[in-house]
Amino acid sequence: MTRSQRVTSSNFDNKFREALSLWQEEVVQLDLVDPVTTEVVRLRCADHHDCYT
Amino acid sequence: MESPIDAFFREVLDDRTSVANQLEEIHGLAWEVMDSALLDLCRLRVAMLLHCDSELEVSNSDLDSEKIASLSEWSSSSLFNESEKACLRFTEEFIVDVSSIPDSSAFAVRECLGEEGFVNFVNALLVVEQRMRLQIVWRKIGEEVSV
Repeated sequence: MTRSQRVTSSNFDNKFREALSLWQEEVVQLDLVDPVTTEVVRLRCADHHDCYT
Repeated sequence: MESPIDAFFREVLDDRTSVANQLEEIHGLAWEVMDSALLDLCRLRVAMLLHCDSELEVSNSDLDSEKIASLSEWSSSSLFNESEKACLRFTEEFIVDVSSIPDSSAFAVRECLGEEGFVNFVNALLVVEQRMRLQIVWRKIGEEVSV
């Protein structure tokens, strides 16, 4: 499906943004799943969520 | 005081305390940046759709029981205002297929909450959804391991 740009800026609450970044950093540093599988899942999620960051 | 759900995550994550801490932090902030009653409505709707009983048992706001009882019929109910309906529509679409949310649903939420409010809402909803899906999967694994 085609999507319009929905926001002019993805700015949101600074404290919340920083905490989300820290959470994601903590999660990707977990080592129970091998790095290749982790990366495949991460890329699949990013694509599904239309996330380019 | 630690909630039963926070305690569940701490137990599952065991010695990965920094992950548990960050999860608690983002969950707490999700409720700080959002109107708690509005987010609670959406949280309960997610719990209904995902059949997450542990989340249906808790309340994070002062929602009245009549509203909670009508939540599955929000689209035709007069108990819900425009902002609540916009957020509930977006929530349902987010849960069913996050990649197929129509512009109209996104713009309706943005119209009600403002641009920054909309981005806060999407991130808060993401935290609520992830936390719930983790609970569902980990509780299921726990049941199977204990059998």
